[in-house]
Amino acid sequence: MDTLFARLVVLESSAALILGLVLLWRRGVPAYVSAFTWQSIVLAATAATVGWFGHHGELYVVAALLVLVKGIAIPRLLGRMERRFATQRELAPYVNTATSLVVAGLLVLFGHAVMRPVVAASELPTRAAMPLAMGLVLVSLFVVVSRKKALTQVVGFLMLENGIALLALLGAYGVPLLVELGVFLDALMGFLVMQIFVYRIQETFETIDVDQLDRLRH
Amino acid sequence: MTAETAPLLCLLMVAAYLAGAAGALAPLGPRLTRIVAAAGAIGGAVAGTVLATVVLVGGRPLVVTVPALLSVGGGLALRLDGLGAFFLILVGVVAAPAALYGVGYTAAYQGRYSLRWLGAMLNLFLLTMSLVVLADNALTFLLTWEAMSLTSYFLVMTEHERADTVAAGSWYLAMTHVGLALILTAFVLLIPPDGGASFAELRGAAATASPALRGLVFVLAVLGFGGKAGLVPLHVWLPRAHPAAPSHVSALMSGVMVKLGVYGILRLALDLLGVGPAWWGALLIGLGAASALIGVLYALMEDDLKRLLAYSTVENVGLVFIGVGAGLLFVSLREPAAAVLALAAALYHAVNHGVFKGLLFLGAGSVAHATGSRDMNRLGGLIRTLPWTAACFLVGALSIGGLPPFNGFVSEWLLFQSLLPAIGSTAPLVAPVMTLAVGALALTAGLAAAAFVKAFGITFLALPRSAEAGAAHEAPLTMRLAMVILAVLCALLGLGAALILPVLGGIVAGHAGLPRLAPPLTAGPLLLPPGGAASMSPSLVAIGLLLAMGGAWLAVRLLAARGLRVGETWGCGRLGQTPRMEYTSTAYAEPLRRVFAELYRPTEDLAIEVHPESRYFVQSIAYRSEIVPWFERYLYAPLVGRIAAWAARARVIQSGSAHAYLAYLVVALLALLAISLAWSG
Repeated sequence: MDTLFARLVVLESSAALILGLVLLWRRGVPAYVSAFTWQSIVLAATAATVGWFGHHGELYVVAALLVLVKGIAIPRLLGRMERRFATQRELAPYVNTATSLVVAGLLVLFGHAVMRPVVAASELPTRAAMPLAMGLVLVSLFVVVSRKKALTQVVGFLMLENGIALLALLGAYGVPLLVELGVFLDALMGFLVMQIFVYRIQETFETIDVDQLDRLRH
Repeated sequence: MTAETAPLLCLLMVAAYLAGAAGALAPLGPRLTRIVAAAGAIGGAVAGTVLATVVLVGGRPLVVTVPALLSVGGGLALRLDGLGAFFLILVGVVAAPAALYGVGYTAAYQGRYSLRWLGAMLNLFLLTMSLVVLADNALTFLLTWEAMSLTSYFLVMTEHERADTVAAGSWYLAMTHVGLALILTAFVLLIPPDGGASFAELRGAAATASPALRGLVFVLAVLGFGGKAGLVPLHVWLPRAHPAAPSHVSALMSGVMVKLGVYGILRLALDLLGVGPAWWGALLIGLGAASALIGVLYALMEDDLKRLLAYSTVENVGLVFIGVGAGLLFVSLREPAAAVLALAAALYHAVNHGVFKGLLFLGAGSVAHATGSRDMNRLGGLIRTLPWTAACFLVGALSIGGLPPFNGFVSEWLLFQSLLPAIGSTAPLVAPVMTLAVGALALTAGLAAAAFVKAFGITFLALPRSAEAGAAHEAPLTMRLAMVILAVLCALLGLGAALILPVLGGIVAGHAGLPRLAPPLTAGPLLLPPGGAASMSPSLVAIGLLLAMGGAWLAVRLLAARGLRVGETWGCGRLGQTPRMEYTSTAYAEPLRRVFAELYRPTEDLAIEVHPESRYFVQSIAYRSEIVPWFERYLYAPLVGRIAAWAARARVIQSGSAHAYLAYLVVALLALLAISLAWSG
């Protein structure tokens, strides 16, 4: 059942996953922000695709909101934060780039293995893309764990959000609009809280290296 | 009043408590807050008592289910049968006077502690206690049980600025949570894999369960509910937490809440599990006898009035458990008449203890209110300044000491009558167990009387031992009224025994293979225990006592020499006697301290300071004596130490690194996914 719909969502999901991998081999925060922006736009395109072929009108609203919140608003705020901590870059992650990419590959494979029963049981034309979304979720988690700078972790968290939204789109053609709106608000609030934390960490420790936080242990 | 009004009354009870809680939190003046909180509590207590009476008289249980609420566990299910109704009456009968007492008592809290939260928590505490006995499925029961524990914890913490209150609260919280875990496990073990958790379904599941599982459930229930009831060795929180609470709350906790532990065991063992092996009863008798003896022995050594009362609660709960254990033992021996008598005696003692311990705690609160002290070595002579309190406290002390015609005498007599015939039993192990139980009961009764001679005598008689005790003032009207109500109840529960006992027999009949129709326990004014060699009529005993006392008074009036001579007490030739020469609380207990030295292991510390010129001129003597707190030192201290050591070892995973914590999450997620993958094949 190799229809246009199925090919499109696989293409878009692959793009989202590759944009997620950008965090592992680029070092500059502006690159992360643009990767996240493009990923959000791809996600919005996926929503629109699913809306078009699946005849779900409300997914267009979701797509528009995705572009507004994750494609424009949050990248702007990220850019402002980046300018404030301009000198601080992700120079020494816990895991180096080569190893990171190998681990990411293994995680994507693991995602495939985990999703196999779901894919086998599913009848949806979007099912082939679901393992890719799972891979994005796992890779984003790995970014959050392995990177030291708070800003990188924030981007990783936002990409994790995107992965979950993608999985929901592919697996269930999106959750009800009301829930979607709640998730948007949640993501935005979570982001704002994290922003405040990053500023406080900077004020207290004069760095946004999260590994300095172990000084809080008593 | 018909059975149709029962749901309405239930609604009224819940509404009154909730209104009391909400009203107490409303921004009213402190005086109005106290009154509103008490009004809600009294309204709820009265509605609950009437509801329970309707159910008891009508004989038809009240059933209320709200499946939509808490739908995961089968919904909110309430059902009030005879057993629940009995405990609901106990709640109401003690709660109404205690709440009334609170109006006057909490005036002293004004400006120091939050009257609003105290009033709200009191109402919620009473509501949750009432709902515990109404619960008809595992979820409702556990939720209300936990809510009861938490609200009572907040009440204990009322005087939160005192360090010993905080320590008492921590003990209580830890013990009650361990207890909840055990009770939860007991229920979960009973729930059938494909069925719900309503009590009817649990009953069916228990009937087909293996004996080992039933035994495990019973032991877990005894440990869990026994902790709440204050069974030795799970009693350690009780002498700490009960005195720390405000006195009307102490009365409720000691008088009512510990009885809900008894209710829990009765509900689980007698109702849900049904007929069990003989060792169930023997275990309860053993724990009960140990609690009774150890409780009263520690009560004797206490100098703090409220702690003495708390230890005495441990003792009385032990007595109740002797009765419950004997009942279960007779059930498994297929002796229904004896079982009904033992269980009815246990219930009788439970309600009696609720009333007189409530009264005594209110009296102790009134003493503390008047003098600011609970240390008996600093009290004395209060009978002149607090005549009402003294009279009521005396009634409570006579009741708890088991003297006729008050209620404690009747229930202890019934306990004896239920145990004595079984001494001649031929069933294995029954005769020795019963003999030991009777011995423990007799020794406990005697020691309890001694403890309350001390509590009343040292506190209220002789001369004041401190300036504060001398400057005491009688309690306000609400407090006095509450104590008088409970004192009258003590007398009524004693005199009306012939009316009450058949009702109690009817409550336990029908459970666990007992005949639906209880054997006749009374004949006219006579209490007539089945199979027993004795019969007794409390009301006739009271009339006899009254006649004898009247006769003695007349004889003294007629025969004694006219005129009252006032003279100095003989002071061994020493002049200038002061209150410091009076017998103290410590001194009174000294002989028993020596008799039971093996248990107490007293350490004495005598420091005498003499004049530098001559050692015959003593300047000061300081005497301190402490007894070994066995359970705290040899059971709980090692346990707590071990747990702390394990916790320190577990701290290794607390590295302080946020990345490590995040990695734990990710690794846990991946592991779970892998496990689920392997599981599904």
